Order: sequence, then C-alpha cells, then structure tokens
Amino acid sequence: MATSEKLSASQSRSLKITGEEIWKNKTEKINAELFTMTYGAIVSQLCTDFQRDYNKVNDQLFSMGYNIGVRLIEDFLARTALPRCEDMIRTSEVITKCAFKIFLNITPQVTNWSPSNDAFSLILLENPLSEFVELPMDATKQLWYSNILCGVLRGALEMVQLDCDVHFVSDILRNEPQTEIRIKLNKVLKDEIPIGED
Amino acid sequence: MAIQSLLVINKSGGLIYHRNFDNDSKNNSLNSNDYLILASTLHSVFAIASQLTPKAIQINQNNVNNPNNLDYKIPYIPYVGMSTGNGSDNYNSRNGGDGYSRNDSTNSTNSSNKNSKLNKLGSFKGDDYFKEPFVSWNKSGLRQLSTDQFTMFIYQTMTGLKFLAISSSVVPHSQGISDNTQVPSTIEKSSNLQVQIADNFLRKVYCIYSDYVMKDPFYSLEMPIKSELFDRKVKQMVDNLL
Amino acid sequence: MSGPPAALTEKQKLQQQFQLFQESLPKVNQLALTLLLNETIPLSMAVQKRLNESELSKMENDDELQINDIDLKDKLYITPKLDLPSHKLIQEISKCNEEDKLKVIERLRNIGFQIGNKMSELLVFTNNPNLEFKDMDLLLIMKFICRDVWKQLYGKQIDNLKTNHRGTFYLFDYDYKPIQPFSIEGDNSDEKTQEKELELVKPFLEIPVGIINGVLSSLGYNKEDVSCEATFVDRPDEKSKAAFPKGISFHVQILNQ
Repeated sequence: MATSEKLSASQSRSLKITGEEIWKNKTEKINAELFTMTYGAIVSQLCTDFQRDYNKVNDQLFSMGYNIGVRLIEDFLARTALPRCEDMIRTSEVITKCAFKIFLNITPQVTNWSPSNDAFSLILLENPLSEFVELPMDATKQLWYSNILCGVLRGALEMVQLDCDVHFVSDILRNEPQTEIRIKLNKVLKDEIPIGED
Repeated sequence: MAIQSLLVINKSGGLIYHRNFDNDSKNNSLNSNDYLILASTLHSVFAIASQLTPKAIQINQNNVNNPNNLDYKIPYIPYVGMSTGNGSDNYNSRNGGDGYSRNDSTNSTNSSNKNSKLNKLGSFKGDDYFKEPFVSWNKSGLRQLSTDQFTMFIYQTMTGLKFLAISSSVVPHSQGISDNTQVPSTIEKSSNLQVQIADNFLRKVYCIYSDYVMKDPFYSLEMPIKSELFDRKVKQMVDNLL
Repeated sequence: MSGPPAALTEKQKLQQQFQLFQESLPKVNQLALTLLLNETIPLSMAVQKRLNESELSKMENDDELQINDIDLKDKLYITPKLDLPSHKLIQEISKCNEEDKLKVIERLRNIGFQIGNKMSELLVFTNNPNLEFKDMDLLLIMKFICRDVWKQLYGKQIDNLKTNHRGTFYLFDYDYKPIQPFSIEGDNSDEKTQEKELELVKPFLEIPVGIINGVLSSLGYNKEDVSCEATFVDRPDEKSKAAFPKGISFHVQILNQ
C-alpha cells in the first residue's frame, strides 16, 4: 500500500504545500553544481586520507552528517513549526516532502514499509550530492558515496527523540538499480520527550 | 507589550541565556546565580504543571470528533517584533486591547539598502520569519503565569528548549475567577491574545536561535549562548514590540 | 537607447541567454552548502584523530580486533562510531601538537584546492559573455578570482585588490561571509582573549586559501609557484553593523614571475 494512501490525502497535500512554499519563497538558493563539487572534493580527500579504506570513509561521512543533523533540526523546526509526528508514517512524509524539499529541493519516494510500520525506505530519484559522479572500480563495492545523508537523518531524528537506524541499501553509483536508504525506528526515547507534550 | 526579560532554558533545565531589557534599577536585584535557580525551578514547575493538567482535557484532545476540542493552533500575528521600515501604511490591523502598538519611527535607513534588509532575518528570506499559523508543541505544560506585577510566557520547542518572556504588562482579572462563566469575554480575549502574541514573538526568537546554533560551529548545544548577533537581534525585536 | 524592443544587440541576447541558463540550473538551499563547508573543519580534525588512533593501534598489534569489528558492522548495520561534537573538535585543533595541526590545515587546503580547480571549469562552461578566458594574464586571472569566483561561492566580490604588478597580490575581504555568524569575544574584551578566539577561527580561512591555489593551478600557475596566506586585518572604516570584528586579507605571491 503506498504511503500516500496511508496518510489522508489532505494531510499529505498540505505537507507538500508547506515544503514547496518554504522552498520557493523563504530560501536563498545556489547552483546545485557548486554543492556537488564541494561534496565531491570532501569525499575525494577522505578517500586519499584513509587510503581507500572505504569502510572508514563511510563511517567518517556518517559522523560528519550526524554533527550537521543535530543542529539542522533546530532550523527545520523553527522554520516549519510542524507538530510532533504521531507515527513513522507521518514522519516519513515530513522527511520527504518538507525536509528534503527545503534543503535539497528533492522529494524522495517512500516505499517498502515493514509490517509493523516502523521501518521504511527512501528512494532517491535524484541526488544533488552525486550528479555526474562516477566511482572508481574498487569504490563501487564498498563506498556509500552519499552516506552523509544517513548521518544527518540519524542526528536530526535523535534530537526529536526517535532512535533510528539509518543506512544505505543500494546506490545507483554502484551500478545498482536505484538509490535506497532504509530508516528503521528502534525506539522512541520517551524519557527525553520534553514534558508538556502528550 | 513590554518585555522585561528573556530567558532560554535547555532541555535539562539549565539556563543558557538571560537578558534584562528593562533598565529600571529595581530589577537588578537578582544576580546571575538567582537566575540559574530561577531557571531550574521553573523547569520543575513546568513539569509539575503538566502533571496537573486535568485528565479530562487530555482525553478530549485525543477524540478527534469532540466539538469541544481544544485548539492548539496559534494564529499568525503579523510583524510581531519586526520594524515596519517599508512604509506600510496600508497595514493597520494589529492591535489587541492591551496597549500594544506599532513602532512607527523606524523608516528609511534600512529599507533603502536591499542587502541589509535581506540579512536582517539571517537565513530567513522575506520580511517576516514565518507567515502561517502554527500548532503549539506545548500541550499540557505551563504557558502563562500571571501575577499582579508581571506576566510570564513560556514557549517550548519539540527539542525541549524553553523560551521565557517576562512582561511587565498585567492581565486584569475579575473577582469571580473560580467560576469561569463570570469572566468577561473581553478580558479572556485579551489574555488569549497576549499569549498568542507572546507565542509568535518567542517562535521568532527560536528562529533567531536556530540561525545562531546552525551557523556558529563554536556553539555547543546546551551551553550558554554568548553571541553578540543573537543579543542584538533579540534586542531589536524587543524594542520593536514597545 | 530608444528603439524597437525586439532589436536586442548580440551582447544583450547573450546576456539574456546566460541569465536564463543560470536560472534553469538545478538549485539547492544555500544553508546546505554553508553547513557542509563549515563542517569540513571539524571533519579534518576528526580524520586526523582517527588516523592517529589507527597508527597507534597498528603499533600495538590490534589488527585482529579491527577485522572482527568490520565483520560485525557489515552483518548488523550497527551505527558507526561517532566523533565528538563539532565545537569540541574545533577546540582540539588549537590545542593539538604542531605536527597534527599542520596536517589538519593541509587537508583543508587540499579540499579547497580541489574546489578551486573545478570552479574554473564550472565557470568556463557557463558561457558567461562577460568572461574572456583567452589571453588571460595574471592580473586578469586575479580579477577573475576576485569577481567571479568569489561571487559564485560567497555571493559577493572581494572588496579590494592590491598588487605591485610583479607577482604579489593582496586580496581584501572585509566581510568574509562564512565567518560572519561566528561569535567571538568582541572589542569589549582585552587583546589576549580576542587573539585566542581568532586563533580558533583561523582554520576556517584555509579553505579559501586552497580555493585560490586551485584556481591559479587550473589556469596554469602550478602549486609550487604559488604561495598564499590568510590573515586578519582591521576594517578600514567603522563598519560596526557587520558581525565579525575583523576582515580577511589574502596574500598571494607568484614566484618565478
């Protein structure tokens, strides 16, 4: 069952409108290629530093993303003031329709829901981090080029008391059919939920 | 609405920012230690208050079909805390019955320089931080504390940060407080409006804070804020509210 | 110049085309780039620490342990070990030993170098009618950096360019954008604390230094012939409105001129 059927059509639409409106009117934009280029320089430097030990590069990208994510979430919340999501279904909609839209101007698709609705996949049809990037042969087996996204998502979700595992499942850069990130909720950090919310 | 002080409390109850805007000497009697104690006391009181929220209201809230549903939506009140520097004479509807009035004196200096106008709101483009009504995250916690000397407003974010504004404006109350039906509707409206204005204002402080947190890599989360930029912008907003 | 609106000069047509082209390019939020760039400094320190650690553990023969860890990671997708938060990493840069510090700075310069290299390619391919790459001498290249490169990256141009026409250039940016929101002790405090805080900001200047090196290299001036350093300077006039108390001066020297 597609996610948009799970969430009422009007709720889904209003999230979409929120995301688009903020992207159109409230953000300063720059050319994506500059962004792609900067990220490429960073990944390439890491590969050199870790002497092509791609597992370490993946970890480092994740950690960098985490540090960005814990601060990015405050900006996102201040800008959108969206209420707390009741379940992962709504969370997935907010992530794809608002968060990705506002920061990267893309809207990933949500699929592959687990039976208990606590895990889902994001399919990135376009990825500004990796436009026109080609991986060297040895990297295609081990490197998750856009792993910084997983770190950002994990950091941001943790700050709103959702402990999640976020990792890549497949990546077009590796000659796989699509770019897919899996997000799984481990638990809600109930003790850390600010008092005053129900 | 005259804001006397602004406090920011982190999610563990520690004070990370406080500033007095009222230059009246009688308010300098509290030293910084007192403020720290004030902050943590408030943190606990906030928690206790949420436990005191009648269960009946909470149960009602979860029942979507209930017509008596409390509406946590806060309407957008335009230009709270913004200086109206671009000759907006056509704009005149922002008044509550509490003496809040628009700041007319700022005009040409910043509207002529486009760059500075864009930068005025940091990374928030446009002439105001946000323009839609929003839902309060603070459902059962303390939102307003009224005494006969001051009123305190609290805005809590989803990440546990609390923004407090202490205002010298006082909400008038009638004698028959215990029986809600006797409170004149105008007083109730004005009190509601005050809370809404405060919520709008504090959300903007949150926007400024998020800009600061995001953009300053030297800032450690949960630690005291020591940014001049943040200070200056907040002071500007408070001045504009007068 | 009055005339029928349809008759645009060739140049104006090119300008229009260029504008349309620029607007049609895919965009991202500027915040994303700012955050990415600012995060490279703590990243550089984190990488250095990890490299040091693995050096240490290699010496202590912990190889077997490392292999097991990797297997485990693959099987269970456990979240990788995280570094310290960004602000702590930045403070560590100023506290670590000289050798590490140099490596961290070199890493940042390399990243900037790669960015600079690709910048000129990017700008060549935009077909900007105002840019003529043929017959670019050193002065024109420096002007290219001051105007176009800086505008692409930071939305504004270099404020002042000084040269002795013999291979030495000073580029002054009084409002270097990425550091404007940084809060350091202002003029209220004494010299010493301000100096200490400025030390913390210094690594952030290594990226534009690398970028300048990169652009020059892509236009024919090899890394070995170019030396570039960044320092803090006072603003010429009292621009108290701007946030960061100091401006930046980039001293570029081309050897073998």
